[in-house]
Amino acid sequence: MSYPLAAAEGEGFVSPGPGTFVFPPLFGEGTFFTKTMLIVVLGSFAIAVFYYLAARRAATVPGKLQFAGESVYGFVRNSIALDAIGHEGRKYVPYLATLFSFIAVLNISGIIPVLQFPATSRIAIPLFLAIISWVIYNAIGIKRQGLVGYFKNMMFPPGIPWPVYILLAPIELFSTFFVRPITLALRLTFNMFAGHLVLVLFVLGGEYLVFDKGGLVGIAAGSVALFGSIVLTFFEGFVQLLQAYVFTLLTALYIGGALADEH
Amino acid sequence: MAPEAPDESGRGAGRQGESDAWGAFGLMISGVAVWGGVGYGLSVWLGNQIFVMLGLLLGMGASLYLVWFKYGRA
Repeated sequence: MSYPLAAAEGEGFVSPGPGTFVFPPLFGEGTFFTKTMLIVVLGSFAIAVFYYLAARRAATVPGKLQFAGESVYGFVRNSIALDAIGHEGRKYVPYLATLFSFIAVLNISGIIPVLQFPATSRIAIPLFLAIISWVIYNAIGIKRQGLVGYFKNMMFPPGIPWPVYILLAPIELFSTFFVRPITLALRLTFNMFAGHLVLVLFVLGGEYLVFDKGGLVGIAAGSVALFGSIVLTFFEGFVQLLQAYVFTLLTALYIGGALADEH
Repeated sequence: MAPEAPDESGRGAGRQGESDAWGAFGLMISGVAVWGGVGYGLSVWLGNQIFVMLGLLLGMGASLYLVWFKYGRA
C-alpha cells in the first residue's frame, strides 16, 4: 500500500467535519423530520413526564421521583434565581427551571447511547432560547424602569463626564442590546459543537487506527484514542450540565440587572 | 433600595464574577464593532482608509476605559 495514493484510493482517514451535524430526513426523501427534531420532541416529552410524575402525588415525605424533581427545581431556585436576582427571583423560577431542564436534557442527549447527538449544537435551538431570554429581560427592564429610564440606565452609567458619553453610550447600547443574546447563543452552541466533534473524532480516529491501519502502532494508538473517548464522554457530560447552568445563570443575572438598575 | 439590602449581600461573588467576565468581553467586542464600523463607513464615504484604523483604535480605547470604569475600580 503506497501512502501518497491512499487518499485517492478512498482508504485514507476522512476526518469528521461540520457535515457530522447535518442529518438526512428520518422517513425518507422529501420529508422534513430529522434526528435533531426527534431529540427535541423526545427531550420535551421526557421533561414533561418527569415533572408530571414528580409532582403528581406530592407527599410530605417525598418518594424518589419527587425528591429528584424537587432537587432540580430547588437547585434552580436557590443557586440560580435567589442568588442572582434576590428575593424577587422567586417569580422567575418557573421560567428558569424550564430553561435549565430543557437545555440540560438537549445537551445530555449528546452522550446518551443511540441518540448521541447534542441537539443544542444546532444554532437554531440556543438562538431561539436566547431570543426568549432577551425579550423577557428587556420587557422586565422596560416595565420596571420605563422605556426612557431603561435605556438611560443602560447607556449612561453614572459618574462619567458628559462628553465621554458620546463615545461610550453606543458601545453600552450595542453590548447590552445585541452582543448579549448573541454570545448567550453562541457560547452554548459552540461548546456543544466542539465537544461533539472531538468525541466523534476520537471514536472514528480510534476505529480507523485499530481496524483499518492496524499494525502494532496503529492498534496501540487506536486503543488509547478509544479509551480517551470514554474519558471524554464523562468530561462532556460535565460540560453539558455546566453549560446549561451557565446559560440559565446568565439569563437570571440579566433579569436581575434589569430589575435592579433603578437609582 | 433599603429593604433589598440583605439579599444583595447574599449574592455569590463567583456568580457576579462570571457575569462581569462576559460583560467585559461583550464591551470589548462592542467597542471595536461600533467605532470600527463608524470608521469603516467614514472611509468608504470619504475615500480614505485611515478612518478605519482611527475608528478601531478609538473603539478599543473607549471600551477599555469602560471596562475599567465598570469592573476595574475598587
